[in-house]
Amino acid sequence: MANTTKLNVTYGDVTLGVSGDHFRYIFAYDRGGLESLVRYGKEWLYRTPMPAFWRATTDNDRGNGFSQQSAMWLGADAFTHCTQVAVAVDGQSIPLPIAPENNRYSDHETATTVAVTFTYTTPTVPATTVTVSYLMDATGKLSVAVHYRGAAGLPELPALGLRFVLPTAASGFDYQGLSGETYPDRMAGGQPGTYHVTGLPVTPYLVPQECGMHMANDWVTVTRDHTLNNADPDHQPFGITLQKHDAPFAFSCLPYTPLELENATHQEELPAPRRTVLTVYGAVRGVGGIDSWGADVEPQYHIAGDQDHDFQFEIAGLA
Amino acid sequence: MQADLTWLDDPQTFRINQLPAHSDHRGYATVAEAQAGQSSLVQSLDGNWDFQFAADPQHRPAGFYQPDYDRSDFDQLTVPGHIELAGYGQIQYINTAYPWEGKHYRRPAYSMGADQPAHGMFSEDPENTVGAYVKRFTLQPALQNQRVSIEFDGVEQAMYLWLNGHFVGYAEDSFSRSEFDLTRYLQPGENLLAVEVFKHSTAAFLEDQDMFRFSGIFRSVRLAAKPALHLEDLTIRPTVDAGLTTGTLNLQLQLSAAQQLAGTAVITLQDATGQPLWTTEQAVVDTLTATTTIAHVHLWQHHDPYLYHLRICLHNAAGDLVEVIPYPVGFRRLEIKDKVIMLNGQRLILNGVNRHEWDAHRGRAVTTADMHHDLEVFADNHINAVRTCHYPDQPVWYDLCDQHGVYMMAENNLETHGTWQKMGAVEPSYNVPGDLPQWQLAVLDRAKSNYEMFKNHPAILFWSLGNESYAGEDLVAMDAYYHHVDPTRLTHYEGVFQNRAYADRISDVESRMYNPPREIEKYLQESPTKPFLDCEYMHDMGNSLGGMASYTALIDRYPMYQGGFIWDFIDQALWVKDEVTGQPVLRYGGDFDDRHSDYEFSGDGLLFADRTPKPALQEVRYEYGQHD
Repeated sequence: MANTTKLNVTYGDVTLGVSGDHFRYIFAYDRGGLESLVRYGKEWLYRTPMPAFWRATTDNDRGNGFSQQSAMWLGADAFTHCTQVAVAVDGQSIPLPIAPENNRYSDHETATTVAVTFTYTTPTVPATTVTVSYLMDATGKLSVAVHYRGAAGLPELPALGLRFVLPTAASGFDYQGLSGETYPDRMAGGQPGTYHVTGLPVTPYLVPQECGMHMANDWVTVTRDHTLNNADPDHQPFGITLQKHDAPFAFSCLPYTPLELENATHQEELPAPRRTVLTVYGAVRGVGGIDSWGADVEPQYHIAGDQDHDFQFEIAGLA
Repeated sequence: MQADLTWLDDPQTFRINQLPAHSDHRGYATVAEAQAGQSSLVQSLDGNWDFQFAADPQHRPAGFYQPDYDRSDFDQLTVPGHIELAGYGQIQYINTAYPWEGKHYRRPAYSMGADQPAHGMFSEDPENTVGAYVKRFTLQPALQNQRVSIEFDGVEQAMYLWLNGHFVGYAEDSFSRSEFDLTRYLQPGENLLAVEVFKHSTAAFLEDQDMFRFSGIFRSVRLAAKPALHLEDLTIRPTVDAGLTTGTLNLQLQLSAAQQLAGTAVITLQDATGQPLWTTEQAVVDTLTATTTIAHVHLWQHHDPYLYHLRICLHNAAGDLVEVIPYPVGFRRLEIKDKVIMLNGQRLILNGVNRHEWDAHRGRAVTTADMHHDLEVFADNHINAVRTCHYPDQPVWYDLCDQHGVYMMAENNLETHGTWQKMGAVEPSYNVPGDLPQWQLAVLDRAKSNYEMFKNHPAILFWSLGNESYAGEDLVAMDAYYHHVDPTRLTHYEGVFQNRAYADRISDVESRMYNPPREIEKYLQESPTKPFLDCEYMHDMGNSLGGMASYTALIDRYPMYQGGFIWDFIDQALWVKDEVTGQPVLRYGGDFDDRHSDYEFSGDGLLFADRTPKPALQEVRYEYGQHD
């Protein structure tokens, strides 16, 4: 019988398992991140969530050379890796509980809260770090905090977020935020409200590019109706909700990563949609629009590379 | 006269035997026809034509216009349409550079000296494709035994015309109506009409618009009969007094007769509900004038495009009604007051878009359904103005803008940026039209065609000399022409910015393109002499249109800032069948093996090429809604 007021903690040899009523999360030390997020028996992660630094080049980015100037972040988006893992239980840091450190535990460990923090180091020059902290309570709620450490000499960021790749394509999503596709410098026309989006539409720009941003949201619920689990033939819809922590957040929910979009010269070259790429953004660069051959995005809509950035959001609990 | 291929090479030969440009009024045989908008005096020639394509002038079917020519190997082609979209000739998209970039070294005739005429540049061009069109027709009863002209609303880019083997005339200027008198060569029964269309001529230097490069008869063709008495030209000059209460209507009619000018013209004016306000009957003469005033005139404007109805009935000497001409009349007062453009006493704010004629299936051969769709998008998003970039549009678009209260910047068919803008730099070491006397008549003719055809449309507030054609004496002459013929509208030209020596002689407004808000503000703070507008701004290529609020903010702070025209309304891309999946997909420059190309640079619309809105449109709706 699961403990309903405490988390069950499994101090494994390569992972930390945390579970409660109808949920089980696995943090993988070897994979460097949250490997598994199962709720009501459904897996929500295909690979570990990773910091997102890149956006597929827009026509304006191409025209004003932004992608050249920030090209380091393309490499960072693809090749950032985990360099440190830290665990805290009931608010207390503990040594990383791998053997032999974890030999003192049993199969019946519990805790009120568990926090796991992954530090990712970028392949940029100079390098910098992003820490991603997951704090869990007994309801299964995950409070996620992301900290980017600014470093002098780093170019402006195309984007800063945390990217979740879900195992299958979503049937749609609902959110409370602004209508349509919005960016910091193009959101005045967005009408606040609650919206449903069917499927995972990609805005069909002539050349596939960054698209689908939603600014200023209170929450988003992504709905899927199938899994990759061979023992799960069920096609009933199931969802997960991300919600704001203390400030509204931005997200996009697409079937493609920025690299997949970046690689295509036409919509028809994009691969068949298979997964859901849900990215929560702490900072979004404006799209600009004065011209498409050199004009910069207005300064207030840049993302400085040499300054710290922090953002938080929550993955709703099951209580 | 015989057709001469070397006309293609000569910038001074651009119209042979064309009828003079005149107003776009339509004659009807009866009042009922006029009310229904269906004229029995008109016979459409749209539809299937016999067609043969040739890769170059040397391989064209010379003499195909002769009645006894063996045309058994001709194909069929639909008019209106582009030759390239029917599978003949390569589709190409290119922006600034000329379409022969990398294939031919060319300098426009006389641009390197008065002794360098460029013989054979297009008449012997191995890549100047040719379309030979043939249409058989028998005159409908209402057109028989009348004077009959033929109207080509758009043929790109140079055309020769024959009827029953006789050479009729020659025309350039792809986007203006070309009209020829066919009367002397008409025969009873079946007639054989032949049109030879060349993709390139010297007009190519004047038509370097940022667009897919097509050729062919891409707009409608029709025969129009002139009854015994015919209204050749109509100038409607509605003005409004400074107090905005009294309207004065001045009319000038130019009439012609098959035999003898005799009879009467009955002119009536009704309000929008059909109440008669004024009628006058006058004996017909070559040039007839009439004037009336309206005491409490209902003004025409964006939110209330009120149109009076003018009707002219021509009666022959026996009193029979022979021709009815309806035309809507809008009264509005346009002026620059304290360096601010005022319309009906209010500061004019342009919530505008640039609109290429585009349909992803049909190219520039757009349909009226496309136009109605576009007007709905305008209405839904507070768009109140359109610039016909960069050529005159199909005539019906002007009627629709009158009816829907859309302010028009009516632009000439002129763009020569390939002659002075290279790799983004201003480099006018050779340039047309510039100051070249050999090119001046051609550009003046384009200005005249634009003015004469559309002069009666209240929607038109600006005559635009063209786009990105630098500045010189030829542009000065165009500006002077418009001021001479039309004191009721403003001239517009942006290119004088590139050559400030002409600032006092070209354009009533300071017009810029893609100027950042802070630079516009700088201009406005330095006590400028002309009101400011953006003829192009907010380049909506791909995922764009960020920062529009900074332009909106200028409206509140600077009365001389009068808004602008977003670039542009709809992506230019073409539906094709994917060679891999067989599915319909949208393709752009370079996708047809066309080189040199500017690839996706034509995808700058507020709408995708299939007319679905881009996400940015909601931002336009919001920003334009601030001053609607």
